[in-house]
Amino acid sequence: MKRTGIAVRLAVLILACSLVILTGIVWYNYVVSRNIIISQDEHTGAGLAQATSARISKVLYAVQKVADSIAYTLEDAEISPKLIDDLGRRVLAGNPEIFGTAIAFEPYSFDPARLYFAPYHYRSQNRIASTNLGSRDYRYFHMDWYQLAKELDKAIWTEPYYDEGGGHALMCTYSVPFYRQVDGKRTFAGVVTADIDLTWLQSMISEVDVYDSGHVFLLSRYGTFISSPNPDLIMNETIFTWAEERGVPELRDVGRAMVQGKSGYRELKDLPGVGDVFLYYMPLPAENWSLAIVFPKDEMLAGVTHLSHTVAIIGLAGFLALAALVIFISGGITRPLRKLTVVANRVASGDLDQKVPEIRTRDEVGELATSFKTMKTSLKEYIANLTTATAERERIESELRIAREIQMGILPKLFPPFPERSEFDVYASIEPAKEVGGDLYDFFFVDDRHFCFLVGDVSGKGVPAAFFMAVTKTLLKVVAERGLDPGPILSKVNADLAAENESCMFVTLFLAIVDIETGETRYANAGHNPPVFLRKGSEPEWVPPLNEPVAGVMEDMEYSTKTMRMEPGDSLFIYTDGVTEAMDGDRNMYSDPRLLELLGTLGAVPAQELVTAVDVSIKAFTGGAEQSDDITMLAMQFHGPLGTNKES
Amino acid sequence: MDITNEQRGDWQIMTVHGRLDAATAPDFDKSFQTIQDVVPLKVALDLAGLEYISSAGLRSILAAGKKAHASSGKIVFAGLAGMVEEVFRVSGFTAMFEFYSSVDEAVAS
Repeated sequence: MKRTGIAVRLAVLILACSLVILTGIVWYNYVVSRNIIISQDEHTGAGLAQATSARISKVLYAVQKVADSIAYTLEDAEISPKLIDDLGRRVLAGNPEIFGTAIAFEPYSFDPARLYFAPYHYRSQNRIASTNLGSRDYRYFHMDWYQLAKELDKAIWTEPYYDEGGGHALMCTYSVPFYRQVDGKRTFAGVVTADIDLTWLQSMISEVDVYDSGHVFLLSRYGTFISSPNPDLIMNETIFTWAEERGVPELRDVGRAMVQGKSGYRELKDLPGVGDVFLYYMPLPAENWSLAIVFPKDEMLAGVTHLSHTVAIIGLAGFLALAALVIFISGGITRPLRKLTVVANRVASGDLDQKVPEIRTRDEVGELATSFKTMKTSLKEYIANLTTATAERERIESELRIAREIQMGILPKLFPPFPERSEFDVYASIEPAKEVGGDLYDFFFVDDRHFCFLVGDVSGKGVPAAFFMAVTKTLLKVVAERGLDPGPILSKVNADLAAENESCMFVTLFLAIVDIETGETRYANAGHNPPVFLRKGSEPEWVPPLNEPVAGVMEDMEYSTKTMRMEPGDSLFIYTDGVTEAMDGDRNMYSDPRLLELLGTLGAVPAQELVTAVDVSIKAFTGGAEQSDDITMLAMQFHGPLGTNKES
Repeated sequence: MDITNEQRGDWQIMTVHGRLDAATAPDFDKSFQTIQDVVPLKVALDLAGLEYISSAGLRSILAAGKKAHASSGKIVFAGLAGMVEEVFRVSGFTAMFEFYSSVDEAVAS
């Protein structure tokens, strides 16, 4: 399984949350500021449209005023061609917005001899030129600018047209009818005109700044383009034909509203060549024109988009900074943990000399490191102590084992011990308990005829018992070899042992000396459990206890010597209480009766066979339960003097 | 093993139950230490409840006897029976100490 570290998880979680929040902020910011900008631009657009229309109206109004005042002047002035020429030149010089001006008279009304009289002043190559309108090809009184003013009897603005009469330019003309008193009657006398050049109008309108690619256009009362940044449209297209051509039905609705003299605002999707736009329109009532301002949406929202980009970039930078910080911090938190893990693994594999990394933070990780350090030190101390203790114990155990080996080594182990002696047969065994005990046995010739054998059991266990046993055995041999009787031997040994025996250790002893010529056996017993006498052909019986005290406690103690006679084939079985008190798993004892019963079934068998049989029986009884005491046995079978032995 | 101590007149009475062997002998020694400084030390050991005594137990008793002797007092035994009595007898303790059939009898001596 792949492990995901705390640092990585923390970083991913925090960064994911931050990213969501950040995205939310940028998005919200964009939407809200977009809405603000749009609503602001609605006002701006309307304002701009108003300002533009006011500006145009102002110009056109000035033009109208000039024409109006000329018409007014002509009503009762003395008119001469010279005056008209001066008037026309003065008007053009003082009104740069006027392209040309004409004073067109009714046929024959100025001079009954002249059909045409219409002096026209206009601008041509930065100079003021003049001509007289009217010819066979240009009957001016049939022109719209003349007819409409005359017939409607009021001042009018014409539709844009290309003037072929004199100016040879695209223009709109303001026409004012003027009157003169003829026979006391106010009679229509002609039309005063003032032209504006659409090119000039266009250049004036194009000064209105509507973003980079935004623009203003003017429509006539029938929807014809009067002004547009695209000169091809002017006079050639109406908004309706253009909408048809470009397949923008919404634009026809806009055109209809504009022709009807309404004002409003419209968002248009995907206008050809421009894209999404906002469009504001309003009428110029005096001329029945309509003005529209086109805002490209992209440019309008460029600020918002830019702002959003900036916010997004700042956000991204912040996010990256946050990411770096989170990774740094979480790395800082887990770095010591990772170090600790490495050290912990090494410590776990037994290397207690690993140096715990110094972590100085005062947080949980720092505490962990301190605890870990303490644990490692304690562990090291503990292991050192344990090693010392184990070594110590092993040393003591080893010494105890050596002590036990020495102890066992001083007991005779070689059987048969006297192969040249056929008068008797002796065999002994000692089965040491786990703990060092104090059982002992020994046998030796006191002289040629007298064979001494003994079994003893020192109270308690351990090294003191082993020492006491060794001392006892040595003392016994030394004393017995002086040729004393068993009783005095024990008395002497007891006295020696009891002297300075503060610890109250004691030893039970059974010691017998047999005359191998006669079978006469003398023995003494210092508190030892009675041996069994196996008389050939009879049931085994206990050697009667003398009830004399254990040795080593009271110095002035006299032990008595008893005598019995062994016949050839008789055996004496001496043992320690390890035999009868051997326990099975349920703590039942082997017991005296069981021993006696077993010995009864054996008959007169050789000493080794006798001891082995008892040993086998004990082992069968205990069934492998742990042995709590030394088990020591000694058997001596008397064969009789040399002669009898051979005979039998 | 279970040991109870009781004082009756100038007698210290120790009642021992269970087994007195190498494992429990130290407990007996400890219990005996609580009374060993009385002079003269007269102890009656009630061993009617004693099931088993090993050589280590005998040694503890001998040590107690020696202490009592040293303070011109004595240690006597009551209620011995069965195997325990046998061990005492075989070990020659019967020649060294006084035995009574009951504590009352021992205290009255």
